[in-house]
Amino acid sequence: MDKVTNVRNISVIAHVDHGKSTLTDSLVQKAGIISAAKAGDARFMDTRKDEQERGITIKSTAISLYAGFDDEDVKEIKQKTEGNDFLINLIDSPGHVDFSSEVTAALRVTDGALVVVDCVEGVCVQTETVLRQALQERIKPVVIINKVDRALLELQVTKEDLYQSFSRTVESVNVIISTYSEKTLGDAQVFPERGTVAFGSGLHGWAFTVRQFAIRYSKKFGVDRAKMAERLWGDSFFNPKTKKWTNKDKDADGKPLERAFNMFVLDPIFRLFTSIMNFKKDEIPTLLEKLEINLKADEKELEGKALLKVVMRKFLPAADAMLEMIVIHLPSPVTAQAYRAETLYEGPSDDEHCQAIRNCDPKADLMLYVSKMVPTSDKGRFYAFGRVFAGTVKSGQKVRIQGPNYQVGKKEDLFLKSIQRTVLMMGRSVEQIDDCPAGNIVGLVGIDQFLLKSGTITTSETAHNLKVMKFSVSPVVQVAVEVKNANDLPKLVEGLKRLSKSDPCVLTSINESGEHIVAATGELHLEICLNDLQNDHAGIPLKISPPVVSYRETVTAESSMVALSKSPNKHNRIYVKAQPLDEEVSLDIEAGVVDARDDFKARARILADKHGWDVTDARKIWCFGPDGNGPNVVVDQTKAVQYLNEIKDSVVAAFQWATKEGPIFGENVRSVRINILDVTLHADAIHRGGGQIIPTMRRVTYASMLLAEPAIQEPVFLVEIQCPENAIGGIYSVLNRKRGQVISEEQRPGTPLFTVKAYLPVNESFGFSGELRQSTGGQAFPQLIFDHWAVMGGDPTDPTSKPGAIVRAKRERTGQKPDVPGYEEYYDKL
Amino acid sequence: MLYLIGLGLSHESDITVRGLETVKKCKRVYLEAYTSILMAADQSSLEKFYGKEIILADRELVETGADSILEGADKDDIAFLVVGDVFGATTHTDLVLRAKELGIPYESIHNASVMNAVGACGLQLYQFGQTVSLVFFTDSWKPDSFYSKVMENRKIGLHTLLLLDIKVKEQSIENMARGRLIYEPPRYMDIAVAAQQLLEIEETKQEKAYTPDTPCVAVSRLGSPTQTFKAGSLKQMAEYDAGEPLHSLIMLGRQVHDLELEYLYQFVDNKDEFKKLVEADQEYFKPPAWVPPEEDDMSD
Repeated sequence: MDKVTNVRNISVIAHVDHGKSTLTDSLVQKAGIISAAKAGDARFMDTRKDEQERGITIKSTAISLYAGFDDEDVKEIKQKTEGNDFLINLIDSPGHVDFSSEVTAALRVTDGALVVVDCVEGVCVQTETVLRQALQERIKPVVIINKVDRALLELQVTKEDLYQSFSRTVESVNVIISTYSEKTLGDAQVFPERGTVAFGSGLHGWAFTVRQFAIRYSKKFGVDRAKMAERLWGDSFFNPKTKKWTNKDKDADGKPLERAFNMFVLDPIFRLFTSIMNFKKDEIPTLLEKLEINLKADEKELEGKALLKVVMRKFLPAADAMLEMIVIHLPSPVTAQAYRAETLYEGPSDDEHCQAIRNCDPKADLMLYVSKMVPTSDKGRFYAFGRVFAGTVKSGQKVRIQGPNYQVGKKEDLFLKSIQRTVLMMGRSVEQIDDCPAGNIVGLVGIDQFLLKSGTITTSETAHNLKVMKFSVSPVVQVAVEVKNANDLPKLVEGLKRLSKSDPCVLTSINESGEHIVAATGELHLEICLNDLQNDHAGIPLKISPPVVSYRETVTAESSMVALSKSPNKHNRIYVKAQPLDEEVSLDIEAGVVDARDDFKARARILADKHGWDVTDARKIWCFGPDGNGPNVVVDQTKAVQYLNEIKDSVVAAFQWATKEGPIFGENVRSVRINILDVTLHADAIHRGGGQIIPTMRRVTYASMLLAEPAIQEPVFLVEIQCPENAIGGIYSVLNRKRGQVISEEQRPGTPLFTVKAYLPVNESFGFSGELRQSTGGQAFPQLIFDHWAVMGGDPTDPTSKPGAIVRAKRERTGQKPDVPGYEEYYDKL
Repeated sequence: MLYLIGLGLSHESDITVRGLETVKKCKRVYLEAYTSILMAADQSSLEKFYGKEIILADRELVETGADSILEGADKDDIAFLVVGDVFGATTHTDLVLRAKELGIPYESIHNASVMNAVGACGLQLYQFGQTVSLVFFTDSWKPDSFYSKVMENRKIGLHTLLLLDIKVKEQSIENMARGRLIYEPPRYMDIAVAAQQLLEIEETKQEKAYTPDTPCVAVSRLGSPTQTFKAGSLKQMAEYDAGEPLHSLIMLGRQVHDLELEYLYQFVDNKDEFKKLVEADQEYFKPPAWVPPEEDDMSD
């Protein structure tokens, strides 16, 4: 652990059901933690009962593994290393889109990613999402194409078909990589011939890389390993008659030649499969001998699939192939932090802390990012799970705990506390350690009460925060929970607090009418959260309302006249107009491209160049809202108003709340730009304090929005459904019923599977999976991922329209007046 | 008829005779209770003194519910009681304007206000410049526009009366922004806090409108029996415990008359020291000495 150059922090990421946890088993087994026989079924990393039952991963789990390498292999590592022993900190992450936030948290603390792709299903929507996230975090990927056994046994493809399918998959992965990768990361594309792609079967516990075969053959042919590897992939053919390599698929006589990959790599595997699965007992021993596989006496008795599993596992152990890729091709913390430092640190990139991160310096001030909270066996307490980026963290050390809103020099969101213990997370158990130097992943005990979900731990007073994680999903589905037994209320409140801590993306809140709200990213996420809440965090029976979607309020035109509100004492007046923000601007704000914390000049440049804003306007953005970073802005367009800067704070504060609870039905506001046109102020500070300005700004914001053709936006899922052709009819009919919009339908080359993509309003998605199963005979499995906000046609103030009905229902539920107030409610006449 | 009646500074009996007579004949009596407080009286003692029921008018009622105050004022007599003088706190001009709009006649009955009663400290009212208010600073909100006004006053040698913030019935920012009527406990700024805030702003501005050595006068509980004055440098004020509210602070200008100084000696710890402070302070903003125009050269 102290030899940081020999550490690899990696996460395993993939689409749901592509076999991450199963593959991880092979690695865990290699380290001797579970028996070889169990690997592939045990799902060691799925630590929770519901994970085991459902067969999906819900929480990401970490484990540390040791691996030894021989000198020959170590030589190929193109970064600094010491000795032959390596420590691999591995995080298995969930594949279901609803838990993407877990992936984000895992990616933050790792430097490399093992991307698992199903060889039959290929690159799916979640593969793309997680890969994109990884690249944005500057994390280097290697790929393993999994479930090759399925292709061989179920689909019975030919060697050339299989090669084509492999190369297509690799290509589509590379398309994503080249789209999203940054220059600083270097060439992140993956190539089988360079050993950054492996092929295998997690279930059977075998995998190989082209490099492994190249080593085998390089001795036989007497060629250099690297050269051999290049010949074993792509358009490279071997003519057995002339014993020559060529790049044409026909020999001099026009006879077809076999591709080198098929001939040297796939051939032995195919032969093993056919002979074992067709029970050709006589052929098997000779084959095994040729491939230098020795079986024990009892193993020789096996036949069929069981024998195949044992043989393949001996022939091409999955752990070897993966460890090789991880150790040789993924960066050590030292290598990775050199280029990740700037994207990790909020402060200036030339200060000492950023330098320390860049150098992965264990002697510098501590910089540690806590990315998530892991529940301990002690109910209600959590391990703070994170990565040491600089310095060394020790048990008993006194540290500064900085929450996401902390700013250097201020005391908000800051605690000074001691770390009780430091531990290593080992899947189901933990192991206590004394200290942990930069570059490692660690669990901290005793600071959980001081952090909400994530934060920065440091020992220096001048350290800025490490960057807050941006999640690709947002909590758009919510329910209200209520206790069945009134005495349990305190337990519910405590349980909600714990729930919010244990999951990076769940939101819990209390609304105006006193209901407890739990908001999650999708139906499954919500179900898991509520289960946890009922059975674990609160441990009490709950009444749960039907799920409700969260909406956004927006405007579709400029205010039809200047909105004016006067302060309560009538001495201060604010004149504004509202107008819609372009969708692209909102998206950029939400993605953090245009960020409230950026330098205002840099921000103005982006807005002017990319979005065609007037530069003066762009420079005069006073604030974003809600929460200081939302997709609504206040622009100061006043001219020479005295004391204006003194009311700025009040305006900002008012705007945060006004955009958090909009005028139509108390939902968040989105894509609204408020232009302050003029302000009249009282001459004395005491008569233009917060008490005067805040309510005025709130009222005038509401008035201007109601004057600007208000509308509501609803969240829309992107649905991806894989199914056989005969199920497509059923899919269409369900989508039609549910206001779905099909955007593409493609057959996956080489398979009978179709991929249908569609937009589906979140509001209609409840029970979608069930109905889909029913009308397709269980052949279609949808993946739903939040995609965008769509404006709902219709006037939300008119209760007979569709949005109007939604508005009225929410207003009645939350105890507001059923009708949306007119602008006059907030408007003052001159 | 709407009557605006000043109550004076401290006791229920500070009201003028004409004021008292008017209150007694009014149908409804409102007491404005948020811009200031009567130090030695409260609602019940006032009610007893007038023999009339009083309706407490908080900020909401005066600023947003003015119509209910004015209701029926065209026929009946309504009294609106203001601590100090009627137009001391500017917010009430709005009430008068609205009464005019509704065609309601009004009359005001004046009384003493801090604006004139500060004369009690010995400084001449003629020598005062613009009055400014000091509001409570928060972590992020530090309005400093008073600084330039103090500067303007001192440039022409005038004293500045600084009124200190009182928060009788204020909402927190969150409650304000969400339109909820939940109030914080009352707070009154004392001399020490005011002086510290003044020093803080000077520290950041560094324009020498005043210095830690600038002479000041602390005025506490003006108009009440326990009224006290204290003169000293701004630095000393920052550590001065002024006792019960209400307080005001006066910052001296360059032009200190001999009589003013003599009067102030009553309130200082050390006469000579204070004299030195005043003399040193007179060097700031001192106009350049008058130089007679050069006489024409008559040599040729």
